[in-house]
Amino acid sequence: MAETVTITIDGQQFQVPKGINLVDAAKMSGTDIPVFCYHPKMDPVGMCRMCLVELGSVVTNRETGEPDVDDNGDPVVRWFPKLQTACTQTVSEGMVVRGATQRVRDARDDILEFILTSHPLDCPICDKGGECPLQNLTMAYGPGESRFVFDDKIRLDKHVPLGDLIYLDRERCIQCARCTRFCDEVVGDDVLAFHERGRRLQIVTISDPPFDTKFSGNTTDICPVGALTTADFRFGARPWELDEVPSICPHCPVGCNISASTRLDRDFGGKKVIKRIMPRQNEHVNEIWICDKGRFGHHHARAEERLTTPLLRRGDEWVAVDWDTAYSEIAGRLKKAGDNVAFLAGNNLSNEDLWELRKLAHRTSNTPRLGVWPAFMTGADAVAQAGVGTGTRLQDMGPDSAILVIASDFEEEAPVWWLQVKQAADRGAKVVVANGRPTKLDRYATEVVHYEYGDAVAVLNSFAARARSKNKIDADFTARVDGAAELEAELKGTRVPFADAAETLLDAEDLVIFAGGEGLTLDQHRELMQAAANLLLLTGHAGKPNNGLVPVWPGANLQGAFDLGFSAETTAALADQPPTVWFIGSADPAAEDAALVQSLANAEFVVVSTQFMTPTAAHANVILPAQSFAEREGTFTNGMRRVQRFYTAQGPVGDTLPEWRIYANIGARLGGDKPRISAALVMRDITQNVPRYAAMAYPALAAVEKQFPDVGGDDLYYGGTAYTNTGGLGIQWPANAEDESARLQVRPVQLDGYQIEGLFAVPVRVLYDRSTLFEQSEMMHTHVPEPFAEINNQDAAHIGIVDGEVIRLNVNGAQHLLTARVNGQAPAGVVLVPQLLSKTPIVIGPAACAIEKIGE
Amino acid sequence: MNLIRGFATTIKHVLEGPVTIQYPEQERPVRERFKGRHALKRYDNGLEKCIGCSLCAAACPADAIWVEAAENTDEERFSPGERYAKTYEINMLRCIFCGYCEDACPTEAIVLEHEYRLSFNDRRDAIYTKDRLIDPPPHGVPATPQVTEPGQFDRSIPDMENPK
Repeated sequence: MAETVTITIDGQQFQVPKGINLVDAAKMSGTDIPVFCYHPKMDPVGMCRMCLVELGSVVTNRETGEPDVDDNGDPVVRWFPKLQTACTQTVSEGMVVRGATQRVRDARDDILEFILTSHPLDCPICDKGGECPLQNLTMAYGPGESRFVFDDKIRLDKHVPLGDLIYLDRERCIQCARCTRFCDEVVGDDVLAFHERGRRLQIVTISDPPFDTKFSGNTTDICPVGALTTADFRFGARPWELDEVPSICPHCPVGCNISASTRLDRDFGGKKVIKRIMPRQNEHVNEIWICDKGRFGHHHARAEERLTTPLLRRGDEWVAVDWDTAYSEIAGRLKKAGDNVAFLAGNNLSNEDLWELRKLAHRTSNTPRLGVWPAFMTGADAVAQAGVGTGTRLQDMGPDSAILVIASDFEEEAPVWWLQVKQAADRGAKVVVANGRPTKLDRYATEVVHYEYGDAVAVLNSFAARARSKNKIDADFTARVDGAAELEAELKGTRVPFADAAETLLDAEDLVIFAGGEGLTLDQHRELMQAAANLLLLTGHAGKPNNGLVPVWPGANLQGAFDLGFSAETTAALADQPPTVWFIGSADPAAEDAALVQSLANAEFVVVSTQFMTPTAAHANVILPAQSFAEREGTFTNGMRRVQRFYTAQGPVGDTLPEWRIYANIGARLGGDKPRISAALVMRDITQNVPRYAAMAYPALAAVEKQFPDVGGDDLYYGGTAYTNTGGLGIQWPANAEDESARLQVRPVQLDGYQIEGLFAVPVRVLYDRSTLFEQSEMMHTHVPEPFAEINNQDAAHIGIVDGEVIRLNVNGAQHLLTARVNGQAPAGVVLVPQLLSKTPIVIGPAACAIEKIGE
Repeated sequence: MNLIRGFATTIKHVLEGPVTIQYPEQERPVRERFKGRHALKRYDNGLEKCIGCSLCAAACPADAIWVEAAENTDEERFSPGERYAKTYEINMLRCIFCGYCEDACPTEAIVLEHEYRLSFNDRRDAIYTKDRLIDPPPHGVPATPQVTEPGQFDRSIPDMENPK
């Protein structure tokens, strides 16, 4: 711990870190100072006055530097004449605090009585009732009765929609400004504000569309009263009736820890369902925040469209069969097919599923084809070498740190990382954003690099060249890097187009690179990841916390798929050599890749395990109904290589089975072992066979430790209703760079761009899309745009298109009707095409295209 | 002598008439505070008093009550305010008729009435659903859901005052 100071709280002395907030210091020492407006993740404002304490400092003699003492030998304390707000104080040496005196108690009484004058007593219908800081603090500190004349109570609107996700109850609001400050300070979206003054002070949304932020749900967690409620949960259940199940968000590579609040539900046949998703604290991953996709994207777990029995194709019809029939059919086909099978793993299969799928694949062939989907990013070997160090916390990164985000629309692909990088920028970290187009992170960037799509590798490579020319090579570190000398020789003379950005990165003590895959071909992406590893290894920014490479994989568990032997290159090769039998685990390539649709249609036999009838499943001969993340146990490995457990939150739907069990059962038909009886035992197999996962046994993954700030539990007033982590913090597997004895490799990278004449389409990813799971959340449909294409202003003017017009996009020999967006986002010559806004594949990688205006 | 005294007692009781009553043809009236089967009450305008707050379920020592709430709108209003009980069930096999639910109710919606004839052919019949528990609307008043004027019933709980 850094420098400490000694403070005295209620007569007891404590050592606390220097310069922290007094409320935090008291909390760490085990003393509660009640607060409403203060939040440990935000700057203090001192609005609610609940934290009033008597504050003083020990008087020191100026000559001797010793504390003055009175006649009894006690140090003399100079008290402030009035009570002070603890939240606006930072601790200093000799600070003396009294929080248990009558004077302080009276003040708290008065503040609570005052707050309650305009707060309705409708706790019985309030969603916060039972987990409400105001309720708890009133019980703990408040007056027994009020002198207020109830006829004077002000009446305000109780049902004010702030956007379609969050509702505001104006009466309940106590004007603590936590929500407005969260949006302004933490997220940086200027969407909520105070309107009017004094007793008429109220929260309004000032953006169009209203409350336009991807993190709106978090305001309901930190609201100390029931003023903000989500459309999803409103009146869903009382907090004390909910069972909390620790889980992991299945939507993106951040791997946010979530808590699924479950309850039995008559509308769901009296079975358990997820009523709401709340964040679960993990200071290494998502702190206490989650995005709205994670919070409102859980409805697929109990959707009516879920497949409930195995289905067999008989001609043009689907016949429901039992598992045995399905297994026999598949086993027979797999036996015959031999090497002619391809296995495709989706991006949210758990590690256990992947392991059993791999075992099944090895049973059918000695050299099985194990592909992943989506398959536009690769470079797991670069991650294994130079991946971000274990113990990395983005919230620790400050003025000495630099963060490079390259080829990723970060807020759309990994919202919570975006949030943390944005906050790091606020703390003074240098953020360099490199992409072919402007993205939202540009506003917080120290340096913005807009390269031409296709030049991403060259740009990153030039940063390494700059490191060489500016003597930033870490010779101690490169001593254990093979190929460093050759690489340096190769880098000599490389032109550095964005020298300022390079300098910014190289001057920092800590460097993290987030690498996405936007606008890159698969080959280029492998080079991009290698270029990132080159830069990190040459400059010694690897093998320690807050340094290294983080891939922004598309999906929750692509890292796990790569770790267990699946690869994107295999998927790419399938286009050239299509197999006769496909075995697809929870992936939907037919919605993204037109070429694969053709090979699926041509295939002899297609097996798909899935939760829903996807376009891919429509091509299947056998469909196996799989369980969602909510119905089973498992682990995901996030983009920072942290293996995290999720637990069973609800009972199975229909006859569905966890995918690892499905694969193991088929394997058993092919002469394999009897299936394991639990996911924990599958993980034990993994720990015994995959060296990197040796430490990932379930009990170890479930280990928790005390985290600061304290949230959940009795301390709802302090950090909001994010849940205490009881399910485990997960374990990161260490990158090779962290092992002092390991040899590391670098190599020169291929810098080839792509040569496309004229206009070309670049697929981009958006957060709110129509991907298989997320499209089941109907409440989010208004946030999913119609399929559109962003076109450069000049290109649009040239063709004669205006914003909002419907255009025809010709790409890869197919035509698509899309809404044109002409908003200055697309660089010249580029058409940005968001993925998965419809179920029709448009474009999967950069490709030449043409745009036609549709005549009136 | 003792024999005569004995006969006298017998004859006295013969003349007294029977104390048994012919249940179920005849019924003994119950006391005012008798705690029998629950009823969910309505306001005079026909709206349900129950707001689906689940406090009865929280108070219930036998875990006999199941409540699921939903949101009122002015087009489909069940109760004053925003919240109403979509599902309200009491398992009479579990209920111990302690009356805690009545005490816990902030709107006096649930009342233990005088009905005590509870017998079932099937365990499932013992679960009283909301339509079996709720009183019929007063004469001439529409049942719930009602269509109401916006702003008329936006508060669920009658204004509370300090206990006097």
